[in-house]
Amino acid sequence: MKTFIQAISQISLQEPLSDQWFSNPHVPQNIFNESIEPDYKRFLSPMEARRMGKLMKRAITTSLDVLHRSHFENVDAIISGTGLGCIDNTEKFLHAIIDNNEDCLPPTAFMQSTHNTISSQIALYLKCHGYNSTYSHRGTSFESSLLDAFVQMKVGDIHSALVGGHDEMTPDYFNMLGKLGYWKKDPFTIDSLKKADTIGSISGSCSLALLLTDSPNQDALCQLNDIELMYAPSITEIRSRMENMLIKNGIALGEIDAVVMGLNGDIENDAVYHQISQNCFPNIPVVWYKHVFGESYSASSFGAYTASMCLKNNLIPPHLLYNSVARSTNISHVLVYNHFQNKDHSLMLLSKI
Amino acid sequence: MNKIVVTGLGVISALGWGVEKTEQALLKGKTFVGKMKYLNTKFTDLPVGEVPYSDDELRELLHVDKNLSITRTSLLGRAALHEALRSADILQNRPKRIAFIAGTTVGGMEKSEQYYIDFLDIHSDYKTEYIALHDCGACCEMMAMEYTGKFDMMTTISTACSSAVNSVILGANLIKSGCVDAAIVGGSECLSKFHLDGFHSLMILDPELCKPFDKNRQGLNLGEGAAFLVLETETSATERHVKPICRLSGYANCCDAYHQTASSPDGEGAYLSMTDALKSAQLQPSDIDYINAHGTGTESNDESEGNAIMRVFGNNIPPISSTKSYTGHTTSASGSLECVISILAMVKNFIPANLNFSEKIPSLSFEPVKNVVTNVTLDHILTNSFGFGGNDSSCIFSKI
Amino acid sequence: MEQLIEELKKQIIEVLNLEGMKPEDIDENAPLFGEGLGLDSIDALELIVMMEKNYGIKLANASEGREIFKSVRIMAEYIQAHRTK
Repeated sequence: MKTFIQAISQISLQEPLSDQWFSNPHVPQNIFNESIEPDYKRFLSPMEARRMGKLMKRAITTSLDVLHRSHFENVDAIISGTGLGCIDNTEKFLHAIIDNNEDCLPPTAFMQSTHNTISSQIALYLKCHGYNSTYSHRGTSFESSLLDAFVQMKVGDIHSALVGGHDEMTPDYFNMLGKLGYWKKDPFTIDSLKKADTIGSISGSCSLALLLTDSPNQDALCQLNDIELMYAPSITEIRSRMENMLIKNGIALGEIDAVVMGLNGDIENDAVYHQISQNCFPNIPVVWYKHVFGESYSASSFGAYTASMCLKNNLIPPHLLYNSVARSTNISHVLVYNHFQNKDHSLMLLSKI
Repeated sequence: MNKIVVTGLGVISALGWGVEKTEQALLKGKTFVGKMKYLNTKFTDLPVGEVPYSDDELRELLHVDKNLSITRTSLLGRAALHEALRSADILQNRPKRIAFIAGTTVGGMEKSEQYYIDFLDIHSDYKTEYIALHDCGACCEMMAMEYTGKFDMMTTISTACSSAVNSVILGANLIKSGCVDAAIVGGSECLSKFHLDGFHSLMILDPELCKPFDKNRQGLNLGEGAAFLVLETETSATERHVKPICRLSGYANCCDAYHQTASSPDGEGAYLSMTDALKSAQLQPSDIDYINAHGTGTESNDESEGNAIMRVFGNNIPPISSTKSYTGHTTSASGSLECVISILAMVKNFIPANLNFSEKIPSLSFEPVKNVVTNVTLDHILTNSFGFGGNDSSCIFSKI
Repeated sequence: MEQLIEELKKQIIEVLNLEGMKPEDIDENAPLFGEGLGLDSIDALELIVMMEKNYGIKLANASEGREIFKSVRIMAEYIQAHRTK
């Protein structure tokens, strides 16, 4: 059973619900970046939206938009990945516990703080009684969701799935992660990010909805041949897992036209990618995307989006090309490789339809 | 089709650490929910199902370095994981590819809520290392830290109170599709002020011992714990010369899609998850010999679940109990904890009681099992696990 | 009493985030839940918290809210009779 990415919709620091970033992106200027919000009234009535925080509005909106783009009315499964859930609500509830000494606490904030509230509200909205799940595993939350949908489609349990990657960044959480060295301390440029000679990256917010199906229509973006998660693998293991994936799917390494990677300007993070690219993908064009979307727990979902767009448009736009390896004129197969703190690694293999 | 079998179990809860202690406690037919000892909250009168060890005692039992920063959820997870791996002898005598999947809801919150003021102070370095352990995935990785390099993949499920059962389902699907040969699946959650206050704000905590399926039920008691199961194909178990404990014969995950916290009155999600699980097991309702209900003791859940059970089983309702009356509601761990309890019941031929029950819910046709029943033969058992937002899942286990 | 009703309408709009709604849009005699304003059980919990915070009224059990929240007027009467601040 083949699986296809029918469509993708996003709300991030780029033009919302649009593919404009692929040809003409907003270049992030700040280390803390807010998402550009669309007009939610087009999708949600005030009564429906009144209890929703920003992330929930984004998640529902991208989900509705991707269904619309796909000409699908409903799906068999709704699966979301989120590293932190609606962290804004978690913070609201934590503050209330401290400020009010455990009294008079806001039930809505608690309810919206559980990570599965995103998938379940989408289901509520679509009246979808099908499979419903939520993954929260650091930087591979999105890939975990996609893997779940992929295996269920493979065994024939489902035929369509709404897969999401949703994370917001609040000022408080940004500051907390800053203490751990997540962010750049000094002003940056795209070139300085590429050079990656200091620790830290730039932050982003992510709401991405993807429609996976085994019966695509003509507008479908690409085929998802395979996806794998790895935990704390050695370079040799990554190499062999990748080679096995290619063999399993009947594609030679020489046929890979680009590798999309989660390079983010952090010296330690990017060193892993350089090592992998030297050992596993020499002489293949490397595509990056976090300089456009920023870093977040769900940012890797934009890696899948970037690969899908390159395949659909048969093009790697110059602003997404990381190295200077000559590009083939035809983009047929793209690998997406991401890692989070060199522990959680993921591989996705996508092909032109 | 290659059958999926269970070859290892690991568990820790208010009942103690280990399957033997758990079985003995269940047979005693008395609750382990009681006075709060370790949780730091002002609501000390609320009964809870605490694991009977402090963090320091858990560290000692598990030989965890004194200087290692670790959350209680990860400590509990380690205890259960350790036992599960050992009982399946899966690391020394390993199948090719192994996945580790854990369910948790608030991750490292129990530490975050203690140090939050310092977290927010950009000039403070105090306990900063716990910021990195706050999220669910970090907690899951900490559970498995001593086994780094042994697992080929790892992920964390967060579907509130059905998290652990959904990790059973993902594990089974990964095995079924050939992605891995074995999966260690389950969940862990410790008590936290955040959770206690959260459930309190929803006004669903019973100030007394919880009374699942009782007319006068007032809510749930929170508990804590962790439980893991080792799943693999029958072929893999045979090749490893490991004797399977039982079979995972069916499972389903459906969404109630009714309300953010309340269950639908007719229990549509629960009805669908039970019927789909039966379908996937190729069994009839009359084949089920025992139901371990989600049975939280809240007004909404028990009526909704009860109605769904009546819709599925009609006039032939099998014995039902909610073992949350022994353990409290262990939230993210409850799904796998109750899988372990149900499997123990099946293998050791007993039915655990639904404690604290006195009066039937008028609209329901059945009463739960009031006292422990021994010397019964259970061939197929069904366990329900439901979460906020209508994340309803059911699993069926069968005798080999 | 009329002043309390006005005050409550404003608080309901604020607490429940009824965007775009003005106090005069709420009929103090119409039901708050179900058909009237269309509020649900979570809104009831929020209103219970609001009564505790602003008027010092503590309900032991969410079902008590069902009678109290029948309309803004009934709610105001209850608050008047039981308020501690």
